[in-house]
Order: sequence, then structure tokens, then C-alpha cells
Amino acid sequence: MIDARDISVSLGGRRILDAAHLTAPPGEVTAVIGPNGSGKTTLIKALCKDIAFTGTVMINGRDLSAMAAHEAAAVRAVLPQSSALPFPFTVREVVALGLTAGRPGVSLATRRHLPEEALARVDLDGFAGRFYGELSGGEQQRVQLARVLCQVWVPVLEGVPRYLILDEPVSSLDIRHQLMIMDVARDFARTGGGVIAILHDLNLTALYADTVLALRGGQVAGSGTPQAVLTDALLSEIYDCTMQVGRLPAPGQPFVLPHAGQVRPPLSTRVA
Amino acid sequence: MTALAMAVGAARRESPAGDRSGLGRTAVLLLALALCVGMAVSMTTGASGASIWNLLTTFFGGGEADAASALRDQTVILNIRLPRMIMAVLVGAGLAVSGLIMQGLFRNPLADPGLVGVSAGAGLGAVGVIVLGTTALAPLTAMLGIYSLQIAAFAGGLLTTFVLYQVATRSGQTAIATMLLAGIAIAALAGAVTGVLVYLATDAQLRDLTFWSLGSLAGANWTKIAASGPIIAAALVAAGFFARGLNVLTLGEATAGHLGLPVQRFKTAAIVTVAAATGASVAVSGGIGFVGIVVPHLLRLVIGPDHRYLLPASALLGATFLLLADAVSRTVVAPAELPIGIVTAAVGGPFFLWILLSRRNAIAW
Repeated sequence: MIDARDISVSLGGRRILDAAHLTAPPGEVTAVIGPNGSGKTTLIKALCKDIAFTGTVMINGRDLSAMAAHEAAAVRAVLPQSSALPFPFTVREVVALGLTAGRPGVSLATRRHLPEEALARVDLDGFAGRFYGELSGGEQQRVQLARVLCQVWVPVLEGVPRYLILDEPVSSLDIRHQLMIMDVARDFARTGGGVIAILHDLNLTALYADTVLALRGGQVAGSGTPQAVLTDALLSEIYDCTMQVGRLPAPGQPFVLPHAGQVRPPLSTRVA
Repeated sequence: MTALAMAVGAARRESPAGDRSGLGRTAVLLLALALCVGMAVSMTTGASGASIWNLLTTFFGGGEADAASALRDQTVILNIRLPRMIMAVLVGAGLAVSGLIMQGLFRNPLADPGLVGVSAGAGLGAVGVIVLGTTALAPLTAMLGIYSLQIAAFAGGLLTTFVLYQVATRSGQTAIATMLLAGIAIAALAGAVTGVLVYLATDAQLRDLTFWSLGSLAGANWTKIAASGPIIAAALVAAGFFARGLNVLTLGEATAGHLGLPVQRFKTAAIVTVAAATGASVAVSGGIGFVGIVVPHLLRLVIGPDHRYLLPASALLGATFLLLADAVSRTVVAPAELPIGIVTAAVGGPFFLWILLSRRNAIAW
């Protein structure tokens, strides 16, 4: 379980995250939603020790601040928003970086084929020999996900669950690959790992998340199941535009319908 | 040449798509052979015509050479050619590896101790000791002995690298334009102070300085090797441990940390290593430019950017390159000799322009 409590971050005298809580148990996909600047990426950065924060982050019961970089790397992998490389690496070489650095938890014989296997998971069969810099943005994003998967290939290693932390994993993907990547994330969770994903697409959130954490202005505006969090009132409030949430007939799955021409002025300019 | 093509072809066939590790291993092996050839050539050629065979046959007895010429050959080979060869190998490897580490650290293929002012800083330290060694800095030179020039150059290099990194890096990201501009500013500043020192220098010191600033291996001797050799050798050994870290750093500092690299500690170790290698090289050979850019860049084109192979390959090719440049500098205007810095700049300058021109159209990077 990743358990973050009272996470606050201040930058240049401005508080951009205010006492946020997040719990991501193994076996679940935890989605973080919220408008631009609501503190989603900052929260992720705190979970990865990339930024100075107050509060505590526990991973599997251990305090993150007491963990060395390599110890943290053995239990969680992080997908950044974008990655440009300064040197001409092949796709296979990029994916293998996750392998050499991480603890995939597979036999030596399997390791050799792991980059190809990881690339197949993200629908990039046959891309191993291509140059990373020559791929499209969406393809690069999937290569990075394959690298991240290699780092923690086995979701549970020696009885310890491991985690994927994904910062907008589907932001530059077409719809087929959005579904495919979210399937990979959900499979990782269903086989015992944990997933934390920042998502902008509320319908994907409804489809895939077990728990949703909604942020607004650096504070947690709501958390719970998609059914509980994805409501007309809450979404319209945190995104400052009118949205209507419907239910699909059979499983009661929510879907979100935004309304055109009903964008409200941002919160900061309104009288409280 | 055919053997090279065959070896490269074989390495390509065996590996899965996109895996260039076989190619890297082959290249390291071939470059090691090339270095051996270069060392042999360096030992057997020179202005004096001294013959290593002559020396060996006399030494093991039964040779027809007379004792006087054998003694002369022994002096030339053991006290001139051998130290010079060792110096070329150490400095060449040190400069190439320094350039490579810097490029990995700054995530930019154009970073080089010479271009970003580290050599200028090291040079300032060295010039300071040459000019003020008997006056203002006398206590220091008395304390450090034969190492004073090396240590002053190392300190100068370390200080400039540190300032450069602090100026160009904000919240974990190094701004490349800032780095290059800061490098120019630091180099100008170091140049200005160096200028003041040159102004203060005596005629004898001035001769030392001029020769030194053009870059030369002509002054190579066992004392200089004893002073600089261990520093460069230690830096090269340390560099061997940086391969994995430099590889993950290409993904950015944050991601390198996520992959388990203790980023801050690694950067400090790498910076100290670059400053040590550059400082010790500059102290003995002056401003030899472009080795740190040309060698890693050329190798990256052939074997790719994996530092596990790039590090040893750069050390080997850098050493071979400097041996060749030294051979050219000794023979092209024989019996006089050209400072080696002129040779490397004559090769490196156009090469650098070529890199810039080819990058204009590059889509990959």
C-alpha cells in the first residue's frame, strides 16, 4: 500500500498542495483527477521524493524518506509526462534501461527477451530496432511505459506488492491505445500490484479506476469509488464548467457529458 | 579494413533488433588492438632515428650495434619516447573520457571541458602556479612539491565545473544554452585573470607559458608522469563505474532517480572525476582541444550511446587519436615540431562544424 498523509508543498511562498491524503492499495487502480494546476503532478512528485514536501509517505509500511533510491526503485516505477533523449538510442536500448536498473523479478533467460515482451504489451512489436527519436509522441510514450513495466515486471515480488505511478499515461494516445494502456495498468493491479494514474479523461477514469481522488486548488475535493466521486455537482464544481453524469444501463457505470458554452469564470475570480 | 567490416557485420547478425552490445564489444576489442599498434608506431618512430630493435638486440646480446649508439638509443627511447607515449595515452584517454562524462552529465553531445570553460579554469590554476609559484604562492608550491601544478589545475577545473553546474541547473534540469553561455563567461573571466598573470610573468616564465598554452607533449618526462599519471589513471578507473549511471541519466535526472540512481552523489562524483582528469591533463600538456568532443561523437555514430561500451571505447580511441596527432606533430615539420594542440584543433574544428551542420537536418536528436 502507498499511503500518503498530510502532503503539503509550497513553491515560492505559494501553497500548491495542502494537506492532501492519498491511499493506493495493491490490487487497485487509483486515479487522480482535477483541472490544470490543481496539484496532481505535484502530489506525484512528492510520492517520488522529487520535490520538498511536508507530511509522510509510506510504501508497504516503510517511510519513503528513509528509503534509498535503489530501495524505492525496487518497489515502484514512475512514468514521466514526456521524455526527450539527447542521444540516439534504439527503442530496445531505452526499454532495457528499465531492465538493468530495476528488479524485474524474472529469470536470467527471460530477461533477455523481456524488452520485446514489454514492447508487445504496449503494441510496439517490431519497433525494437527503430531509433527512439524518430518515433511519434504517442509511440515514445508507449516505449517509456514498456521501460517502466520492465522495471517492475512482476507485480508481486517475494510477497511484496509493487507499484506503477503514471503521470498522464494516455495523454498523447489514440483511443485504441488509450484503452490498451489502461488495460495493461488494470492487469498489473489485478495481479497484485498497485497503480496510481493521473488522468484527464473522465470516461476512462469511470471505466478503469477503482478509486478516484479529485483535486482542486491543491486540496482534495473528493475521494472514493467512481460512482461516488463522478457526480454532476462535484465535477462541475472542480472543473468550473457544467457537466452531466449519466449511468450506463447494465453495470451502472458513470459516463460524463460536458456541456458546450457553459464554462464558468475560474474559482479565483469568483466571490466566495 | 575488411576484418573490421566483417567483425562489425558479425556483431550485427548475432544480436536481436536494436541491441548493439555485440557491436560495442567488438569495437572495444578492435580499438584495443589499434591502440597497441599506435603505441608500437609511437615507440619506433621519431626524429632521432633511434631503433628499438637495435636497443633490444644489444640488450639481449649478440647484436652488431656499437655500444655508443646503443646507449644513445636507450636514452632516446626510455627517457624521451616512452614517457611521451605514456603521456599521450593518459592525456588522450583522460580528455576523451572527460568529454564523454560531461556530455552524459549535461545530457548534451556538445558539452566538453574545453568548450564550457573547465580547461580555461584548470589553465588559470596552472598559470597561477607557473607565474606566482616562486613568489605569492611559494608556501603552497613548497608544500605540494611536484604536484603543485596538477593540484592547482585540478582545483581550477573543479571550481569552474561546479560554478557552471550551479549556474546552468535549476530544479534538476540543466539548461544547455545557459551552460554554454556561462562557459563562455567563465572562460573569458579565467582568460582575463590569466592575462594579468601573463603580464606579470618574467621572460623565462613567458616562454613556458606560450609553449604550454598551445598544448604540447614535448615536455613529457618521468617526473610529470609521476605527478599527473596517477591522477588521470585514478579518474579513468573511477569513470569505469559511471556507465550505468550515465545511461539512466540520459532519461533526465528525475527519472534516473526513479530508476534507483542516487543522483546527487553520482553527479558530485562525476564532476570531481572530470575536474581531476581535465586538470591533470591540462597541467602536463596545456590546452589540447576537441579530443573530448570528436572521439565520443564519432563512437556514438558507430556503436550507439550505451556508456558501458562508450566509456572504454572513448578511452582507447582518445589515446590512439592523441598518439597519432603526436606522431603528426613530430613529423610534419621535422626536425622541429608543431604543438599538438594545433593538430587536434586543425582536425577538431572542422569536425565540430560538420557535427553542427549534420545536426541541422537531424530528426533523431
